[in-house]
Amino acid sequence: MFNNRILAVIKRELREKLLSKSFIIMTLLMPALMFGFILIQTFIMSFEGGKLAIKIVAETPSLMNDFKTELDTADFVKSGKIQIECLSMDKPAFKSYLKSIKKEILDEKTNAVLFIGTNAVMDKKVEIYSQTSNPSITEKLNKPINKVLVNGYFAGRLSYSEMQLAAKGVDFYGYTITKTEGIKEESHGNLVLSYVLTMLLYMGLLTAGTQMMQSVMEEKTNRVVEILLSSLKPKELLGGKIIGASVTSFFQMLIWLSPIILLLSTTLFQIPAKYIPDVSLYHFAYLFFNFICGLIIYIGLFAAVGSIFDNAQDAQQGLMPIMLLILIPFFISFSMLKDPSSPIAEISSMLPFASIIVMPPRMTVSPVAAWQIAVSMLVNILTVFGVILLSGKIYRIGILRTGTKPKWSEVIKWLKYKN
Amino acid sequence: MHALEVKDLSKSFGSIHAVDNASFSVPEGSIFGLIGRNGAGKTTTIRMMMGIYLPDSGEVNLRGVKVGQEFKNKAGYLPEERGLYKKMKILDTLLFFAEVKGKSGRAVEKKAIEYLKRFELYDRRLTKVEELSKGNQQKIQFIATILHDPDFIILDEPFSGLDPINTNLLREIIMEKKQEGKVIILSTHLMDFAEKMCDHLAMIDQGKVILHGSLTDIKAKYSQRNIALNYSGDISFLKGNPLVEKITDFGNSTGIRVKEEKHTQELLKALIERNVIIKKFDANDISLQEIFVELAGKEDDPFEVKEVRNVQ
Repeated sequence: MFNNRILAVIKRELREKLLSKSFIIMTLLMPALMFGFILIQTFIMSFEGGKLAIKIVAETPSLMNDFKTELDTADFVKSGKIQIECLSMDKPAFKSYLKSIKKEILDEKTNAVLFIGTNAVMDKKVEIYSQTSNPSITEKLNKPINKVLVNGYFAGRLSYSEMQLAAKGVDFYGYTITKTEGIKEESHGNLVLSYVLTMLLYMGLLTAGTQMMQSVMEEKTNRVVEILLSSLKPKELLGGKIIGASVTSFFQMLIWLSPIILLLSTTLFQIPAKYIPDVSLYHFAYLFFNFICGLIIYIGLFAAVGSIFDNAQDAQQGLMPIMLLILIPFFISFSMLKDPSSPIAEISSMLPFASIIVMPPRMTVSPVAAWQIAVSMLVNILTVFGVILLSGKIYRIGILRTGTKPKWSEVIKWLKYKN
Repeated sequence: MHALEVKDLSKSFGSIHAVDNASFSVPEGSIFGLIGRNGAGKTTTIRMMMGIYLPDSGEVNLRGVKVGQEFKNKAGYLPEERGLYKKMKILDTLLFFAEVKGKSGRAVEKKAIEYLKRFELYDRRLTKVEELSKGNQQKIQFIATILHDPDFIILDEPFSGLDPINTNLLREIIMEKKQEGKVIILSTHLMDFAEKMCDHLAMIDQGKVILHGSLTDIKAKYSQRNIALNYSGDISFLKGNPLVEKITDFGNSTGIRVKEEKHTQELLKALIERNVIIKKFDANDISLQEIFVELAGKEDDPFEVKEVRNVQ
């Protein structure tokens, strides 16, 4: 089966892909882009626009002083994001004061005015006056104001340390229970790794598939394929192309994962223990096996689609069913980050196609029974053979076919053709 | 001895019989023409010979053995619809196509450079294919077809799109290859070319082989009572002339069939009497095109005498 002709095709594929500028750029840029997106998202979420000016009016001077001391230590005041002016006056005086600064509020020179009466210590009611309500103001001020009010209420009744304890939130310490090693401290690293793996698998398979489809379509529309098929069999050509593309993508994945592998196997990097994922080389061994199966499966399917159509527009439509085979597992895999033991994740990690994208992330977030891993390996191997058979049959007919766009019913007939 | 034998080859696409029970044989050392109009089934036949399509029935034998990978390795195929990898460099392209034929290494590279020099493309060996003109790309493809020194060179419409100088260069190389004892199979719808280059041929029409054999035999068989005429003057008087069975105008020459062989001399006499200047009067000669029209019969109705132009 394997011969010099296939080797020539593989060599060409590798030279075209592995040594191309786009490969180098993609390999380096993709992770940067991926995490760039997360950063941008976080940045946008945390972006609050310009500085805010707030006046806090307390009914008594002592309350005012408490607020001033508490807020002066707050981060958003120190960083200058929110300017706070604390005043003290009684309710009637506040009403006329509010009138006097009405223009200031409408001009947005003052974004909000808070009135905190003495009763607030009892009922925690705080009045806020503004032109537009800004949730980030109430969100930020909630905690420090509450603290002052609580302190005010309990002052003289509780000791300082008692008040500290009362004010403190619950601190969760996570432990994971596993069959083999008993109880151990949980690591956030596994969740992060699971997220990273989901993204990498998705991107790796999608880029490999799309490139393959383009390459097949190029050969088809160019008619290069006719010369190639006068030299080798369709299955040799397809096989060579799939191997070439798989090696390229595998290499790419290896580069993407190398920081993680180095992190786990050496002490070159110092990161907080809770971010170090708890995975073994066995996870990576499975991941690589899984990725190779995934590459062959998806590259094979994309190649078949590429061979059916002779223009990109039709191919995009034809790609829909295959895109779903990648996207649905991708979403399942993402949902798993919230609920690692979800039955959907468990079942889909053993289904053809879905297993490729769901199982490796699942293995990092929850323990997976050995039989399940065995099942998914078997399913993957069977899927690989199924796809090779199916794609091979579609490819050998489709690649030489030109003219009108074939219907799916015709494509199904191709499976029965001799050639 | 036949190098290649095509036996009862058939191929249908749905309800269309692209090739219908085609049989012919290609002798050793010949330039073999596969001729017929566009869509006659030439390309499908070649594709089956190359193993690109599997025939519905029938087989192709290489020196008595069914063709397989061995034939693919020994053959160089220039398809009608040309294409190369656009982003690949020229020299890399040539070496790749030789490699899938199982030839690689220094010797092939040397040969590639030789051919590039001959086709005046050596300076551009490191440029990408897409930067070449169409004609130059075609030359690259031709080099790719013969670089691995195949015993069988199969050219589907090789001259389409080439300028006269390169057409000659191509013809020169084809003749060289024939001298080296290679078998050349040439598919074309241009009967003129086939007539000038081929020594054996098969004529295909609507998927069927309607004629095959050596060019001399075929011509001898069909040339009786036929005259190939090159002239200037007015020959419209021949229309309806009792000597003439039919006249067909092929542009550069006119084919005339007389009713009986003895009428040939009378026809010549009549032409001279009418002051027609005769440039060529070839009795018992017939062009391939005439034979084709006579056999396939649909291009023109051969039995209706065509309006004969007055060529000055």
